[in-house]
Amino acid sequence: MKYKTQAVAMPYFIAAIALFVGQIIFGMIMGLQYVVGDFLFPEIPFNVARMVHTNLLIVWLLFGFMGAAYYLVPEEAETELYSPKLALALFWIFLAAGALTILGYLFVPYATLAAATGNDILATMGREFLEQPLPTKIGIVVVALAFLFNITMTMLKGRKTVISIVLLLGLWGLAIFFLFAFYNPSNLVKDKFYWWWVVHLWVEGVWELIMAALLAFVLIKVTGVDREVIEKWLYVIITLALVTGIIGTGHHYFWIGTPAYWQWLGSIFSALEPIPFFAMTVFAFNMVNRRRREHPNKAAVLWALGTGVMAFLGAGVWGFLHTLAPVNYFTHGSQITAAHGHMAFYGAYVMVVITIISYAMPIMRGRAANSERAQVVEMWSFWIMTISMVFITLFLTAAGILQVWLQRVADTPMPFMMAQDQVQLFYWMRQWAGVTFFIGLVTYLVSFFIKGETKPAMEYKPATA
Amino acid sequence: MTNSHSTSTHLPAHGTPRRATAIWVALMAATLFTWAVGERGDAGPLVVTVLFALAFAKGTFVILDFMGLRQAPRLWPLLTLGWMALVCAAIGLAYWKGLPT
Amino acid sequence: MTARSDALFLPAGQPTEARPALRLPGDLAIWWFILAELLVFGVFFVAYAFARANNVELFNAEQAALDRDAGAINTALLLASSYLVVRAVQLAEAGRSRAAAPWILGAIACGLGFVAVKLWEYAIKLGEGVSLASSTFHMFYISLTFFHFMHVLLGLVILGALWVNARSGRYGPDNMNGIETGAAYWHMVDLVWLILFPLVYVMR
Repeated sequence: MKYKTQAVAMPYFIAAIALFVGQIIFGMIMGLQYVVGDFLFPEIPFNVARMVHTNLLIVWLLFGFMGAAYYLVPEEAETELYSPKLALALFWIFLAAGALTILGYLFVPYATLAAATGNDILATMGREFLEQPLPTKIGIVVVALAFLFNITMTMLKGRKTVISIVLLLGLWGLAIFFLFAFYNPSNLVKDKFYWWWVVHLWVEGVWELIMAALLAFVLIKVTGVDREVIEKWLYVIITLALVTGIIGTGHHYFWIGTPAYWQWLGSIFSALEPIPFFAMTVFAFNMVNRRRREHPNKAAVLWALGTGVMAFLGAGVWGFLHTLAPVNYFTHGSQITAAHGHMAFYGAYVMVVITIISYAMPIMRGRAANSERAQVVEMWSFWIMTISMVFITLFLTAAGILQVWLQRVADTPMPFMMAQDQVQLFYWMRQWAGVTFFIGLVTYLVSFFIKGETKPAMEYKPATA
Repeated sequence: MTNSHSTSTHLPAHGTPRRATAIWVALMAATLFTWAVGERGDAGPLVVTVLFALAFAKGTFVILDFMGLRQAPRLWPLLTLGWMALVCAAIGLAYWKGLPT
Repeated sequence: MTARSDALFLPAGQPTEARPALRLPGDLAIWWFILAELLVFGVFFVAYAFARANNVELFNAEQAALDRDAGAINTALLLASSYLVVRAVQLAEAGRSRAAAPWILGAIACGLGFVAVKLWEYAIKLGEGVSLASSTFHMFYISLTFFHFMHVLLGLVILGALWVNARSGRYGPDNMNGIETGAAYWHMVDLVWLILFPLVYVMR
């Protein structure tokens, strides 16, 4: 670690991993509810479990992004963090707000929660992924602004690199587009239209900038390839991500009441959204092949390469599968969407956060890399989680294809619930893959506690720093 | 002034001014032709074939001479010319599909 | 010694030309970028062509109302601009960076001419009540040309940077990467228009 204030990233990373565990537990609960409908009913109904599963994902990824920024920006700017105290205070505020929100979901009926938190003053609740009560939403904005202030000031007083500029651009975009969570027009078409400005422009827009910046940072560190080369790739990737991603929002506008031209624009541009992900894969492998040093942290290199491949498969290929309007006409909102969502979030964002954790955590604990034994366990966790995610995706895809066929394509279409009965087998298989994923996650946790011989963290400079 | 290539490792890829001018004049003439076809409102498979053969020829000069891919590793002219051939062919196919039967 | 003999290599067309060595002009990253851009435009063109095939009468009727003169003038402006950039690159290659600057400025002027003609064309069309939603043809006409228009604007920014650098004498046979990279992008903007013009304005 080059600057001691980078250490504020540590609590963020720990919280991220802890919430990740919670997310997966709720995932398993829901997975079981798909096949055993009254499991944990009425204590945790399916809709609540789903809300907790998705909200925890978002919150822990945000913890991961913030931790990553606190680690990355001082090192790139070559200066201490502007205010480590603010960073720590924000950590506790964000954690408390997140925990209270989740507890609210679990222990208070949602309507009561809405009434108690001022939803009648400004109605923002009740929309998928944006279920947070108003105080939480305002809290997110306050925390995000204070966080951005902190890291922007850090960058302004130090060296401004392309990587930190791209990262900040992504994080500012994240905060700005979240503001549309407060815009809730009563016209349902408009509501959905702007809802996607948060959801789509996050995950298929500005988050891609964050992801590319984090990946580029880790690749510079572990390969020693010239910064110039990596920066050029970064430019290409983010331009492609924005060119395809922004108008690609149209692939959500096919059937919600927006003008018909969105079927063309959405199909064409979103069909090209795999390109930036493909470029990222090529980029990661290219850089690792041209490496100038053998970094002792093999696990971080594995996660970085894995991010490239899985993001391309999950976001790129599985996204493309159902993005064209004529296909989406049949597959919209089916289990195929769920398959894509799982692999895309895991491949792009979960893995990139784990990549930076894998790289930074040993350094913050005073060593260049974990011991050989700890790394072997971590790599095992990589393979268990990644392979079980591939299976979750494949089973959900199979379930989706069967569902689409029975419910929408067949000559005598089945009602929704009858079609669900027919795909139970795939849901069971998905559930077992999910349990295996959890085993992989436990393996990952274990890897943090394995001791062994390590080298002290080396202070080295990138070739063209 | 002559170039200083004796100390340089640069490989020139952009030809001579005279060649560039000749190509440019040809490209302008081809554009004039395309415009005239449009103004006359000519239609039909033959016209469209000529139009896109001409567009392909123009693009070839831009790719090989202006972009300087004539001296580039084979992959690059192949990819770019291949792209153009593919796009022109697909447009031709679509045109043929849209002809009255 | 091979590198040395390559170094003695003179511009094409000169009698001393030896066996040609292969080199990609400009940065590898811009070429990947150009390929991706070509793919985007390619998909867009093919989508247009097949949408037209399903609706030939509508496309022909509304295409006839386009201003072909403006389209042709814009083709000429882009071609001229590309040509001027080639001349600038050749001067830079000959070690005359400062002499290249006015040529780049000429290219920028042509590009601005393109922008002016296009805006004028848009103003008239929008005045006629044409919009993205008015028909499939207009959707393609506006989004295709506007997508290209955005590329022209980006290309002009790049040319502006080249002009500044050329004026300060930055380019020369030892420093061609920047100017070749920018030039390649600008030629790409020209290249896609060469297909766009006959496709959208002329083919019927």
